[in-house]
Amino acid sequence: MKKPCDKYIAEDISRFIDNELPRDQYHAVAQHLIHCPVCSRLVERYRSISSVINDHADQAVLRIDPVKLKQKIVQQNSKETFSRNIFRFFTKNIYLKLASIAAIVIFSLLPFQGALFGPTGPSAIVKYVDTDFASVMIIETQKEQHTIIWFSET
Amino acid sequence: MGGFIKTILILSGISCFYFFTQPAVAKSQVLTDVKVIHASTGTRYVDQGLKGIISELESVFKYTSYRLLKDQKLNLNFNQKGRVNLPGKRALVVIPTDMKGKRIRYQINIQKNNHSIFQTRVLLKNNSSITIGGPQFKDGVLLLNISGSVQ
Repeated sequence: MKKPCDKYIAEDISRFIDNELPRDQYHAVAQHLIHCPVCSRLVERYRSISSVINDHADQAVLRIDPVKLKQKIVQQNSKETFSRNIFRFFTKNIYLKLASIAAIVIFSLLPFQGALFGPTGPSAIVKYVDTDFASVMIIETQKEQHTIIWFSET
Repeated sequence: MGGFIKTILILSGISCFYFFTQPAVAKSQVLTDVKVIHASTGTRYVDQGLKGIISELESVFKYTSYRLLKDQKLNLNFNQKGRVNLPGKRALVVIPTDMKGKRIRYQINIQKNNHSIFQTRVLLKNNSSITIGGPQFKDGVLLLNISGSVQ
Protein backbone atom coordinates (compact mmCIF):
# COMPACT_ATOMS: atom_id res chain seq x y z
CA MET A 1 0.00 0.00 0.00
CA LYS A 2 1.26 3.45 -0.94
CA LYS A 3 2.45 5.49 2.03
CA PRO A 4 0.75 8.92 2.31
CA CYS A 5 3.42 10.15 4.61
CA ASP A 6 6.34 8.77 6.58
CA LYS A 7 4.34 8.35 9.80
CA TYR A 8 1.08 6.60 8.74
CA ILE A 9 0.13 4.26 5.98
CA ALA A 10 -3.18 4.42 4.05
CA GLU A 11 -4.61 1.56 6.08
CA ASP A 12 -4.12 3.55 9.28
CA ILE A 13 -6.03 6.44 7.71
CA SER A 14 -8.79 4.14 6.55
CA ARG A 15 -9.12 2.62 10.01
CA PHE A 16 -9.14 6.16 11.46
CA ILE A 17 -12.13 7.06 9.26
CA ASP A 18 -13.91 3.87 10.20
CA ASN A 19 -13.25 4.50 13.93
CA GLU A 20 -11.43 1.24 14.18
CA LEU A 21 -8.28 2.58 15.86
CA PRO A 22 -7.65 2.38 19.59
CA ARG A 23 -8.45 5.64 21.34
CA ASP A 24 -4.78 6.75 21.83
CA GLN A 25 -3.89 6.01 18.20
CA TYR A 26 -7.05 7.77 17.03
CA HIS A 27 -6.07 10.94 18.89
CA ALA A 28 -2.50 10.69 17.60
CA VAL A 29 -3.73 10.44 13.99
CA ALA A 30 -6.16 13.30 14.58
CA GLN A 31 -3.26 15.46 15.85
CA HIS A 32 -1.12 14.38 12.91
CA LEU A 33 -3.82 15.38 10.40
CA ILE A 34 -3.62 18.99 11.58
CA HIS A 35 -0.05 19.22 10.36
CA CYS A 36 0.03 16.69 7.48
CA PRO A 37 -1.69 17.90 4.28
CA VAL A 38 -1.02 14.57 2.52
CA CYS A 39 -2.88 12.56 5.12
CA SER A 40 -5.60 15.20 5.34
CA ARG A 41 -6.25 14.91 1.61
CA LEU A 42 -6.36 11.17 1.92
CA VAL A 43 -8.86 11.48 4.75
CA GLU A 44 -11.06 13.74 2.65
CA ARG A 45 -10.86 11.38 -0.27
CA TYR A 46 -11.78 8.38 1.82
CA ARG A 47 -14.61 10.30 3.46
CA SER A 48 -16.04 11.37 0.11
CA ILE A 49 -15.89 7.78 -1.14
CA SER A 50 -17.44 6.59 2.08
CA SER A 51 -20.24 9.16 1.87
CA VAL A 52 -20.99 8.18 -1.74
CA ILE A 53 -21.22 4.55 -0.74
CA ASN A 54 -23.36 5.36 2.30
CA ASP A 55 -25.69 7.57 0.24
CA HIS A 56 -26.14 4.79 -2.31
CA ALA A 57 -26.75 2.26 0.41
CA ASP A 58 -29.26 4.58 2.09
CA GLN A 59 -31.12 5.05 -1.19
CA ALA A 60 -31.24 1.29 -1.70
CA VAL A 61 -32.52 0.84 1.83
CA LEU A 62 -35.09 3.61 1.36
CA ARG A 63 -36.54 1.75 -1.61
CA ILE A 64 -37.48 -1.11 0.73
CA ASP A 65 -40.83 -0.63 2.38
CA PRO A 66 -40.16 -1.47 6.04
CA VAL A 67 -43.82 -2.28 6.70
CA LYS A 68 -43.96 -4.72 3.81
CA LEU A 69 -40.63 -6.20 4.79
CA LYS A 70 -41.88 -6.73 8.33
CA GLN A 71 -45.07 -8.32 7.06
CA LYS A 72 -43.07 -10.60 4.78
CA ILE A 73 -40.84 -11.68 7.64
CA VAL A 74 -43.83 -12.30 9.89
CA GLN A 75 -45.56 -14.31 7.13
CA GLN A 76 -42.43 -16.33 6.47
CA ASN A 77 -42.06 -17.02 10.18
CA SER A 78 -45.68 -18.03 10.59
CA LYS A 79 -45.47 -20.32 7.54
CA GLU A 80 -42.39 -21.98 8.88
CA THR A 81 -43.91 -22.29 12.34
CA PHE A 82 -47.13 -23.76 10.90
CA SER A 83 -45.33 -26.32 8.74
CA ARG A 84 -43.02 -27.16 11.63
CA ASN A 85 -46.01 -27.64 13.95
CA ILE A 86 -47.81 -29.80 11.37
CA PHE A 87 -44.69 -31.88 10.87
CA ARG A 88 -44.27 -32.26 14.63
CA PHE A 89 -47.96 -33.09 15.01
CA PHE A 90 -47.75 -35.85 12.41
CA THR A 91 -44.45 -37.26 13.57
CA LYS A 92 -44.69 -37.04 17.35
CA ASN A 93 -48.36 -37.82 17.95
CA ILE A 94 -48.61 -41.57 18.53
CA TYR A 95 -52.41 -41.49 18.30
CA LEU A 96 -52.23 -39.89 14.90
CA LYS A 97 -49.81 -42.58 13.77
CA LEU A 98 -52.18 -45.27 14.97
CA ALA A 99 -55.12 -43.48 13.35
CA SER A 100 -53.22 -43.28 10.05
CA ILE A 101 -52.46 -47.00 10.17
CA ALA A 102 -56.08 -47.77 11.07
CA ALA A 103 -57.30 -45.60 8.18
CA ILE A 104 -55.03 -47.42 5.73
CA VAL A 105 -56.17 -50.80 7.02
CA ILE A 106 -59.83 -49.78 6.76
CA PHE A 107 -59.43 -48.38 3.25
CA SER A 108 -57.57 -51.48 2.15
CA LEU A 109 -60.30 -53.71 3.58
CA LEU A 110 -63.06 -51.85 1.74
CA PRO A 111 -62.81 -54.06 -1.37
CA PHE A 112 -63.33 -57.07 0.88
CA GLN A 113 -66.20 -55.47 2.73
CA GLY A 114 -68.71 -57.87 1.20
CA ALA A 115 -66.62 -60.94 1.93
CA LEU A 116 -65.91 -59.93 5.51
CA PHE A 117 -69.12 -58.33 6.62
CA GLY A 118 -71.51 -59.16 3.81
CA PRO A 119 -73.37 -56.57 1.78
CA THR A 120 -75.48 -54.17 3.74
CA GLY A 121 -79.18 -53.61 3.16
CA PRO A 122 -82.09 -56.00 2.86
CA SER A 123 -81.60 -59.74 2.53
CA ALA A 124 -82.99 -59.52 -0.99
CA ILE A 125 -83.51 -56.69 -3.41
CA VAL A 126 -86.66 -57.26 -5.43
CA LYS A 127 -86.03 -56.22 -9.03
CA TYR A 128 -89.21 -57.41 -10.67
CA VAL A 129 -92.58 -58.95 -9.74
CA ASP A 130 -95.31 -60.24 -12.03
CA THR A 131 -98.42 -62.00 -10.81
CA ASP A 132 -101.97 -62.74 -11.79
CA PHE A 133 -103.07 -61.30 -8.47
CA ALA A 134 -103.60 -57.65 -7.78
CA SER A 135 -102.22 -57.43 -4.27
CA VAL A 136 -98.47 -57.73 -3.74
CA MET A 137 -96.54 -56.43 -0.74
CA ILE A 138 -92.80 -56.29 -0.24
CA ILE A 139 -91.84 -56.18 3.43
CA GLU A 140 -88.49 -55.80 5.12
CA THR A 141 -88.28 -56.85 8.76
CA GLN A 142 -86.76 -54.38 11.17
CA LYS A 143 -84.41 -56.70 13.02
CA GLU A 144 -82.61 -58.69 10.35
CA GLN A 145 -83.80 -56.78 7.27
CA HIS A 146 -85.30 -60.03 6.02
CA THR A 147 -87.20 -59.51 2.77
CA ILE A 148 -90.70 -60.92 2.47
CA ILE A 149 -92.85 -60.83 -0.66
CA TRP A 150 -96.50 -61.35 0.03
CA PHE A 151 -99.13 -61.86 -2.62
CA SER A 152 -102.77 -62.44 -1.86
CA GLU A 153 -103.96 -65.50 -3.72
CA THR A 154 -107.67 -64.72 -3.81
CA MET B 1 -40.18 -40.82 11.54
CA GLY B 2 -38.45 -43.20 9.17
CA GLY B 3 -39.98 -46.19 10.93
CA PHE B 4 -43.45 -44.71 10.68
CA ILE B 5 -43.13 -44.08 6.94
CA LYS B 6 -41.78 -47.61 6.49
CA THR B 7 -44.80 -49.03 8.33
CA ILE B 8 -47.18 -46.99 6.20
CA LEU B 9 -45.44 -48.10 3.00
CA ILE B 10 -45.46 -51.76 4.04
CA LEU B 11 -49.17 -51.63 4.91
CA SER B 12 -49.97 -49.85 1.64
CA GLY B 13 -47.98 -52.47 -0.26
CA ILE B 14 -49.81 -55.34 1.44
CA SER B 15 -53.16 -53.67 0.73
CA CYS B 16 -52.31 -53.17 -2.94
CA PHE B 17 -51.13 -56.78 -3.19
CA TYR B 18 -54.39 -58.11 -1.79
CA PHE B 19 -56.45 -55.70 -3.85
CA PHE B 20 -54.84 -56.53 -7.16
CA THR B 21 -54.45 -60.24 -6.58
CA GLN B 22 -58.02 -60.77 -5.39
CA PRO B 23 -59.35 -63.55 -7.61
CA ALA B 24 -62.37 -62.81 -9.67
CA VAL B 25 -65.49 -64.52 -8.40
CA ALA B 26 -65.91 -67.45 -10.70
CA LYS B 27 -67.86 -69.74 -8.47
CA SER B 28 -70.63 -71.58 -10.21
CA GLN B 29 -72.32 -73.79 -7.60
CA VAL B 30 -75.25 -72.20 -5.79
CA LEU B 31 -76.64 -74.10 -2.85
CA THR B 32 -80.31 -73.22 -2.70
CA ASP B 33 -82.40 -74.28 0.26
CA VAL B 34 -86.17 -74.11 -0.05
CA LYS B 35 -88.25 -74.40 3.12
CA VAL B 36 -91.96 -74.85 2.58
CA ILE B 37 -93.83 -73.67 5.66
CA HIS B 38 -97.48 -73.93 6.46
CA ALA B 39 -98.51 -70.96 8.56
CA SER B 40 -101.89 -70.93 10.24
CA THR B 41 -103.75 -69.60 13.24
CA GLY B 42 -104.21 -72.95 14.96
CA THR B 43 -102.62 -74.23 18.13
CA ARG B 44 -99.34 -72.52 18.79
CA TYR B 45 -96.53 -74.50 17.22
CA VAL B 46 -93.12 -73.66 15.79
CA ASP B 47 -91.12 -76.29 13.97
CA GLN B 48 -87.58 -76.83 15.25
CA GLY B 49 -86.22 -76.40 11.74
CA LEU B 50 -87.48 -72.82 11.63
CA LYS B 51 -85.47 -71.46 14.56
CA GLY B 52 -83.35 -69.27 12.31
CA ILE B 53 -86.17 -67.34 10.73
CA ILE B 54 -89.14 -67.67 13.06
CA SER B 55 -88.49 -64.39 14.89
CA GLU B 56 -88.50 -62.55 11.56
CA LEU B 57 -91.73 -64.24 10.45
CA GLU B 58 -93.44 -63.60 13.78
CA SER B 59 -92.46 -59.94 13.61
CA VAL B 60 -94.60 -59.58 10.48
CA PHE B 61 -97.31 -62.27 10.51
CA LYS B 62 -99.97 -62.98 13.12
CA TYR B 63 -99.99 -66.74 12.54
CA THR B 64 -99.52 -68.91 15.60
CA SER B 65 -98.52 -72.17 13.94
CA TYR B 66 -95.54 -72.61 11.65
CA ARG B 67 -95.04 -76.14 10.34
CA LEU B 68 -92.18 -77.12 8.09
CA LEU B 69 -93.70 -79.20 5.32
CA LYS B 70 -90.60 -79.60 3.22
CA ASP B 71 -86.93 -78.65 3.34
CA GLN B 72 -85.32 -79.24 -0.04
CA LYS B 73 -81.71 -78.47 -0.82
CA LEU B 74 -80.77 -77.87 -4.43
CA ASN B 75 -77.20 -77.64 -5.62
CA LEU B 76 -77.58 -75.64 -8.79
CA ASN B 77 -75.27 -74.25 -11.42
CA PHE B 78 -75.97 -70.80 -12.72
CA ASN B 79 -78.94 -70.81 -15.09
CA GLN B 80 -79.87 -74.29 -13.93
CA LYS B 81 -83.50 -74.74 -13.06
CA GLY B 82 -84.44 -76.12 -9.65
CA ARG B 83 -87.95 -77.36 -9.06
CA VAL B 84 -89.73 -77.96 -5.76
CA ASN B 85 -93.20 -79.42 -5.73
CA LEU B 86 -95.61 -77.61 -3.43
CA PRO B 87 -98.92 -78.66 -1.95
CA GLY B 88 -102.06 -77.87 -3.97
CA LYS B 89 -100.71 -78.81 -7.39
CA ARG B 90 -98.20 -76.01 -7.17
CA ALA B 91 -94.50 -75.89 -7.92
CA LEU B 92 -91.68 -73.52 -7.19
CA VAL B 93 -89.03 -73.01 -9.86
CA VAL B 94 -85.82 -71.25 -8.88
CA ILE B 95 -83.00 -70.33 -11.24
CA PRO B 96 -79.84 -68.64 -10.00
CA THR B 97 -78.82 -66.68 -13.05
CA ASP B 98 -75.67 -64.84 -12.04
CA MET B 99 -73.93 -62.84 -9.36
CA LYS B 100 -74.15 -59.10 -8.94
CA GLY B 101 -71.47 -58.07 -6.51
CA LYS B 102 -71.99 -60.20 -3.42
CA ARG B 103 -75.58 -61.00 -4.27
CA ILE B 104 -77.06 -63.90 -6.20
CA ARG B 105 -79.56 -63.00 -8.88
CA TYR B 106 -82.49 -65.41 -8.72
CA GLN B 107 -85.42 -65.87 -11.00
CA ILE B 108 -88.28 -67.36 -8.99
CA ASN B 109 -91.50 -68.70 -10.40
CA ILE B 110 -94.55 -70.18 -8.65
CA GLN B 111 -96.78 -72.33 -10.80
CA LYS B 112 -100.22 -73.76 -10.22
CA ASN B 113 -101.53 -76.44 -12.53
CA ASN B 114 -98.48 -75.79 -14.74
CA HIS B 115 -99.50 -72.17 -15.10
CA SER B 116 -97.29 -69.38 -13.77
CA ILE B 117 -99.12 -67.44 -11.12
CA PHE B 118 -96.23 -65.48 -9.68
CA GLN B 119 -92.75 -64.63 -10.84
CA THR B 120 -90.06 -62.40 -9.50
CA ARG B 121 -86.40 -61.54 -9.93
CA VAL B 122 -84.40 -60.77 -6.80
CA LEU B 123 -80.85 -60.08 -5.79
CA LEU B 124 -80.36 -62.28 -2.75
CA LYS B 125 -77.59 -61.58 -0.32
CA ASN B 126 -75.16 -64.50 -0.24
CA ASN B 127 -75.92 -66.80 2.73
CA SER B 128 -79.21 -65.05 3.29
CA SER B 129 -82.86 -65.76 2.50
CA ILE B 130 -86.10 -64.35 1.20
CA THR B 131 -89.60 -65.45 2.11
CA ILE B 132 -92.44 -65.51 -0.38
CA GLY B 133 -95.89 -65.97 1.04
CA GLY B 134 -99.45 -65.99 -0.08
CA PRO B 135 -100.55 -69.29 -1.63
CA GLN B 136 -103.60 -70.53 0.28
CA PHE B 137 -103.31 -73.99 1.82
CA LYS B 138 -105.75 -75.67 4.18
CA ASP B 139 -106.65 -73.12 6.88
CA GLY B 140 -103.56 -71.04 6.35
CA VAL B 141 -100.98 -70.03 3.82
CA LEU B 142 -97.75 -71.33 2.41
CA LEU B 143 -94.55 -69.46 3.16
CA LEU B 144 -91.60 -70.30 0.93
CA ASN B 145 -88.28 -69.47 2.50
CA ILE B 146 -85.53 -69.53 -0.14
CA SER B 147 -81.94 -69.18 0.92
CA GLY B 148 -78.93 -69.08 -1.37
CA SER B 149 -75.27 -69.65 -0.83
CA VAL B 150 -72.49 -69.54 -3.36
CA GLN B 151 -70.02 -72.35 -2.72
